[in-house]
Amino acid sequence: MDGLQVRGIRKVYGSAAVVDNVSFEAPQGRILGVLGPNGAGKTTIIRMIMGITAPDQGEVFFTNGGVKTNGVPFSTIGYLPEERGLYKEAKVMSILLFLAGLKDIPKTVAKERALAQLRKFGLEDYAYKKVEQLSKGMAQKVQFIAAVLHEPKFVVLDEPFSGLDPVSQDLFKAEIRALANSGATVLLSSHQMNMVEALCDEIFLIHKGKKVVSGNLEDIKERFGNFRVDLLTRAPQEPFLNTQMVAQAEQLGGERFRYTLKDGVQPLEFVQALPSNLEIRELSVSRPSLHDIFVNIAQGGVSDEGYMENSTLGAYA
Amino acid sequence: MKGIWKIARWELMRNLTNKQFIIGLFITPLIMALFAGVPLLLDKLNHPALSTYYVMDELGVLPGLQSIVPENITFQAFDDPESIAETVKETKSSGYLILDQNFVNTGQIDVIYNDRSMETMTALRGALTAVLQQLRLSSSQISPEQVAFVTAPAQVREVAIEEELEPQTMHMIVSSVFTILVFFLIFTSGTMLMQSALQEKRDRMAEVVLSSVTPRQLMQGKILGHFFLGLIQLGFWIALGLPIARYLWDFSVLEALQAVQLPTILFFGLGGYLLFSALFIGLGATMEDLQSASNSQGLVIMLPMLAFLFLGPTFSNPDGTVAVFASIFPFTSPVIMMLRGGLTRVPLWQTLSSGTLLLITALVLMQLAAKLFRVGMLMYGKNASFKEVVKWLRYKEN
Repeated sequence: MDGLQVRGIRKVYGSAAVVDNVSFEAPQGRILGVLGPNGAGKTTIIRMIMGITAPDQGEVFFTNGGVKTNGVPFSTIGYLPEERGLYKEAKVMSILLFLAGLKDIPKTVAKERALAQLRKFGLEDYAYKKVEQLSKGMAQKVQFIAAVLHEPKFVVLDEPFSGLDPVSQDLFKAEIRALANSGATVLLSSHQMNMVEALCDEIFLIHKGKKVVSGNLEDIKERFGNFRVDLLTRAPQEPFLNTQMVAQAEQLGGERFRYTLKDGVQPLEFVQALPSNLEIRELSVSRPSLHDIFVNIAQGGVSDEGYMENSTLGAYA
Repeated sequence: MKGIWKIARWELMRNLTNKQFIIGLFITPLIMALFAGVPLLLDKLNHPALSTYYVMDELGVLPGLQSIVPENITFQAFDDPESIAETVKETKSSGYLILDQNFVNTGQIDVIYNDRSMETMTALRGALTAVLQQLRLSSSQISPEQVAFVTAPAQVREVAIEEELEPQTMHMIVSSVFTILVFFLIFTSGTMLMQSALQEKRDRMAEVVLSSVTPRQLMQGKILGHFFLGLIQLGFWIALGLPIARYLWDFSVLEALQAVQLPTILFFGLGGYLLFSALFIGLGATMEDLQSASNSQGLVIMLPMLAFLFLGPTFSNPDGTVAVFASIFPFTSPVIMMLRGGLTRVPLWQTLSSGTLLLITALVLMQLAAKLFRVGMLMYGKNASFKEVVKWLRYKEN
């Protein structure tokens, strides 16, 4: 399989393991979202994949066209780091040409591509302007162009949407999807869960340097996003509680209640089990969004794989 | 290797198209000329201060006295003791003195001054002493020839035991010029390198560039780029200064270059550049910006200045212990060894041990700088503490 393979990487700073035994795969043509609260070890993982820092243990492999290499070759990497900028006193085009040159792209080819990309982002008038004259959003577009100008096979985008207006976000989203469709492996890290939900094929969630959850987005929701039933009733002041089906019940205010169902309990089962004299004014069934799962993790309601069972009650209280 | 060259070329182009750099190219020699020229000018302005003294000459020695004082001192004969003080005040002269028998007998004389300068006083004291000696000798029946003979100063001539040892002015001047140039190259390129590392961090470009080249390549590329930049600077200044120097002093360039040991100069210049560039770029990687440099970081920035302390002792005694030490100690040797080469014949063992030590130190510092660079370039928003720097140096490289 073409793409990225990370096997058991570990990094220790001082006495603390910042990244501990992390493994995952990012197949070609797919977008992998690496998520986790601040300080979870995302940047360290990304830097180890990039070869900027060396893992204390574990290995990173990259396969391109059936050829497997140790680490990811510089020429195939496109990188948009979280801490990013541009040489302030330089011109946009000369920066793009310099960075493309480092990737061994001939100058004429690089120039042609740069102009095409700048046009796509509406920046063609700024090609020969100094970076100082760009707005923050414009600079971010230039940084994105710099990361993909050499048509990389492996693209790392660390918080690519931060600071972008909605229109630009959509533009970025489309471009990232296009990258994956063209056969690149995309690794994306973001705090904007709606973006991740909309864009990523696979999710890798880490907390405190360890893997919490990984896999297909739908599968994850299936596994961890237990059904929620919201009820607006008239009668009972006491919340209805079926301990066999409900993991948690809470009063949202007034006569509005939220029930989080236990693993494997279907909403229909729950509704059927409701007392027949219950006067239902509103009823809705939903699943926690990625946002809720993320928040749950960030608040520390996590213990390895089975975090929901152990901690949901605490985390929502 | 290709990566190193690309980085070097980028550094070169970035600076060559930078207004500040181009302005600096012209301003620096101007400042240097100013520093060299102003003291000379001040000296010139100071020189022709004329002093006039009124003299009551009862001994008839005034012409003799006038002939042995510097030209800016003149004497005016006067013979009224009552009004002499008034006259001095009215004419705003420097002062007056009375040469009488009492002076011959006691050797004491009052110089009553209106304005006083150290220089004229020293000149007067010397001249009056000479006059006094002649007066006393001539009163003891010794002929003027004998007086002259007795009072003539010793004439000392310096002759080197071997002809080679003889200080050649050309040799000295050329060496000094090279010393200054190399010092300038080290200092300007060093600070520029440090700023280049800082800028990479400030502009948040380090990580992107490091997705294309290794930290070591980035560092070496920067060092190489700034080396060429330094050479361009030097070349420009030499091209600017040479015609002026030739116009002023009239010498042959070829002869000047033959007068010094070019390989030694090149070796120590290059070695010094490598050593200090490693030091500065490593330092830059540990800092957030220049303003927040800590005391210990400031001390490292001042290290190239250390050679300045040894310039005086080396000039006055190029074979003394201090000069020998400074020409072997690697942080001063690039400058001092070059200077000593122009002042004396440096024993081979000293040149060799100094060169070896410089090379080893430069290589070790290069390794340490690479370690600092690797970690420091990815650190944002703070200065590294001394403890952190030590920790970084201990990290093993992959």
